[in-house]
Amino acid sequence: MMAYIVRRLLATIPVMAIVGIFVFMLLHLSPGDPAAIIAGDNATEANVAAIRARLGLDRPLYEQFVSWVWQTVRGDLGVSMFSNLPVTTLVMQRAEPTIALALTTLFVAITIAVTLGVLAAWRAGTLVDRVVMGFAVMGFSVPVFVVGYMLVYVFAIQLRWVPVQGYQSIFDGIGPWLHRLILPSVALGLAYVALIARITRASMLEVLAEDYIRTANAKGVGTGRMLLRHALKNAAVPIVTVIGIGVALLISGVVITESVFNLPGVGRLVVDAIARRDYPIIQGVMILFAGVYVLVNLTVDIAYTFLDPRIRY
Amino acid sequence: MKTTRRNLLKGGLAAATTATMVGYGPKSARAQRRNEARYVPHADLRVLDPIWTTANISAYHGAMIYDTLFGIDANLNPQPQMVGQYNLSDDRKTHTFVLRDGLRWDDNTPVTSADCVASMLRWKARDGAGQHMWQRVTDLSAVDEKTFKLVLREPYGLVLEALAKTSTPLCYIMKKEIAETDPNTQITRHIGCGPFKFVESEYRPGTRVVYEKNPNYVPRSEPASGIAGGKRVHLDRVIWDIMPDAQTAASALMAGEVEFYEVPPIDIVPALQAAPGVKIEVLSALGNVGYCRLNHLHPPFNNVLIRRAAQLAVNQEDFLRAAIGNPQYYRVCGSHFTCGSPMGVEDGSEMLNQPMPARQARARELLREGGYNNMPVVVLHATDIPVMNQAAQVIAQNLRQIGMNVILASSDWGGVVTRRSVKDPPVVSGNSTTGGWNIFFTWGGGNSTASPINLFAHAATGQNAWFGWPENALNEQLRNEWAAAPDLATRRAVAQRLNRNMFEYVHDIKTGQWFGPAAYRSDRLRGVLPVPEIGPPWWNIERIG
Repeated sequence: MMAYIVRRLLATIPVMAIVGIFVFMLLHLSPGDPAAIIAGDNATEANVAAIRARLGLDRPLYEQFVSWVWQTVRGDLGVSMFSNLPVTTLVMQRAEPTIALALTTLFVAITIAVTLGVLAAWRAGTLVDRVVMGFAVMGFSVPVFVVGYMLVYVFAIQLRWVPVQGYQSIFDGIGPWLHRLILPSVALGLAYVALIARITRASMLEVLAEDYIRTANAKGVGTGRMLLRHALKNAAVPIVTVIGIGVALLISGVVITESVFNLPGVGRLVVDAIARRDYPIIQGVMILFAGVYVLVNLTVDIAYTFLDPRIRY
Repeated sequence: MKTTRRNLLKGGLAAATTATMVGYGPKSARAQRRNEARYVPHADLRVLDPIWTTANISAYHGAMIYDTLFGIDANLNPQPQMVGQYNLSDDRKTHTFVLRDGLRWDDNTPVTSADCVASMLRWKARDGAGQHMWQRVTDLSAVDEKTFKLVLREPYGLVLEALAKTSTPLCYIMKKEIAETDPNTQITRHIGCGPFKFVESEYRPGTRVVYEKNPNYVPRSEPASGIAGGKRVHLDRVIWDIMPDAQTAASALMAGEVEFYEVPPIDIVPALQAAPGVKIEVLSALGNVGYCRLNHLHPPFNNVLIRRAAQLAVNQEDFLRAAIGNPQYYRVCGSHFTCGSPMGVEDGSEMLNQPMPARQARARELLREGGYNNMPVVVLHATDIPVMNQAAQVIAQNLRQIGMNVILASSDWGGVVTRRSVKDPPVVSGNSTTGGWNIFFTWGGGNSTASPINLFAHAATGQNAWFGWPENALNEQLRNEWAAAPDLATRRAVAQRLNRNMFEYVHDIKTGQWFGPAAYRSDRLRGVLPVPEIGPPWWNIERIG
């Protein structure tokens, strides 16, 4: 097992290298000149050229690539062309809201989705099943920003139960932290609920048709115990897989949710950087995202061994 | 339970812990009582050097923490700001400036004339108006700690206007050792002499910018007016909350989470107007002026007849209705120098008053006379900024209506600002285009646009001009005459000739003027001043609720 983990961790290096090369080439070959954006609208061509030279953007592409690779290999993600701050500092400043949003969203989504999925499977073919699946389809179909605006209008503007926007650090107290994360987590989590609930239902239906479930019923095992202890555990592998795959969905959803709820996270950082062609930020964050995604997949693979003892690496 | 000291202590600790956990402890209560204001500006502050970039938001930052030698008042006249005494020699060539008493940096060191000299030198290296003035400068030197002089080869009527101007970059005064930074390198220290201090430790690019009252700042005795006069600060802190989403910003204002939203989109304004405690007000009386830049280097717009055809075809009303919508906030304007400004003359723009069918018929004739052969016209189309997006589409349709073959080259604004600097001709292959361009749309602040000199885009110096590279000797001769004119009446007379000439050779195509209102909580703030251009001035504003 340990050898497998080490092998998988080593495999992240070529993955991140490929992502890095791809992102670098994509950025530098697509239109957009950060020097022109920095200089502003009233700048002369000479101003723009001077800034371009200062940032080293007038050097040949291979030279820029080599210097970026050398810098990255040493663990230096570079400095923002606009704010002059190190990319690692900017990412660290933005990491907490994004991690908090991702974790609370996962918590909300998994709790609701698994419950609904189990319920729908247990009551398959009934009105309960149809309502749950209808809700799931709706959750997956309505864009995150629409859900976000609706939640803000009802719960923040009309009822004034929660704030419209902003983030408060967990170090300022768990109450205010949660208070500001409820709406974003629910808005972002709805799509997840739909995805996970459908998979849970399908997987549970398959397991509920197994002989050992019939045996458990025959032995008089209670419904709750039968569903959660016997069926859900055996149906968990596909659910965990979908949760893992959904992390990519979560990363893209975080970008939109952070804008709608004005959360100062990494998603907004990278979107702003793309609009401005702030190459070091985009490259640095993309590599980090790739690393996170690889690690999430590794975690999911390891989780299989706990859920299904037959799986061994 | 028996009341003992130990039990009381335990109870107190438990209560304090719980209060901290849920966030309703003393810290939270203190935050509610702060004498501060939260502001949603039009853009994120990424660059902290207002000389290095011409981005307006960096100029706003500059207005918070720096001061200028002169400032424009509400009537657009330059007034002394850091300068206490000013003298112009009889031959009108030597300008002597004496700094007023009490000027200090926020690190508590005195402001000196050496700081001013170094700042002016850095500013002129980056600014079009500064460079225009510097063609006549023979000396700029400190006389003593508080006095410095500017010597010119010939009289120049725009010295004070240039030092007070609100078009970017403004002539902000920085500490000598900071101002000596290479003009092409961003400064890294932010010590100011303005009404606020920049709180660097709380700066989060893309999220939040924090300013505190500068205790070392001594305001002038006059009342505040425009960006001039006594900048009295009544707030302890001003926090800029960067919100990329307009709907979120509007909701935050309605819910009272922020006090000021600088530029709400016009379609959101009715909802804000209906919200209790929110006031909608146009703070910049001259608003914004839109214009299409034509590429004078390549066909078809290297031909004045084709440029005139395009000028007749582009309908300001169409653009303004599509992009702004509410006629309360826009006007058709026939001036290259901003209607409503002292130079807002409309000579030469009579054709704008003709009905569109007549204009279009004449435009088609001009296309024939100019030998237009259906060659593609590439319009740069920024899709990520609503006004830009609508402008490009309306302009394209206006040109198609007279028979031009228009192709929209769509990208984000970042793509447009890069491509507009390409001087090669555009290359069209099917629906895709590469290389240069024929038309792009942009806009400028009304006050900046009002000056033939301050706005670099007014120059017609060919390859050295702003994007589009118009070349017209008479335009340059008249701009120089305007700069040398001794009084307002003479300047206005020159501006009339300039405007007529710009319409004749079609310098660029104006697309109208609009006035984006600001929205703020009038139940919490009072003393918001109208300003020529540089954002809401946070001095003079008091928190009342």
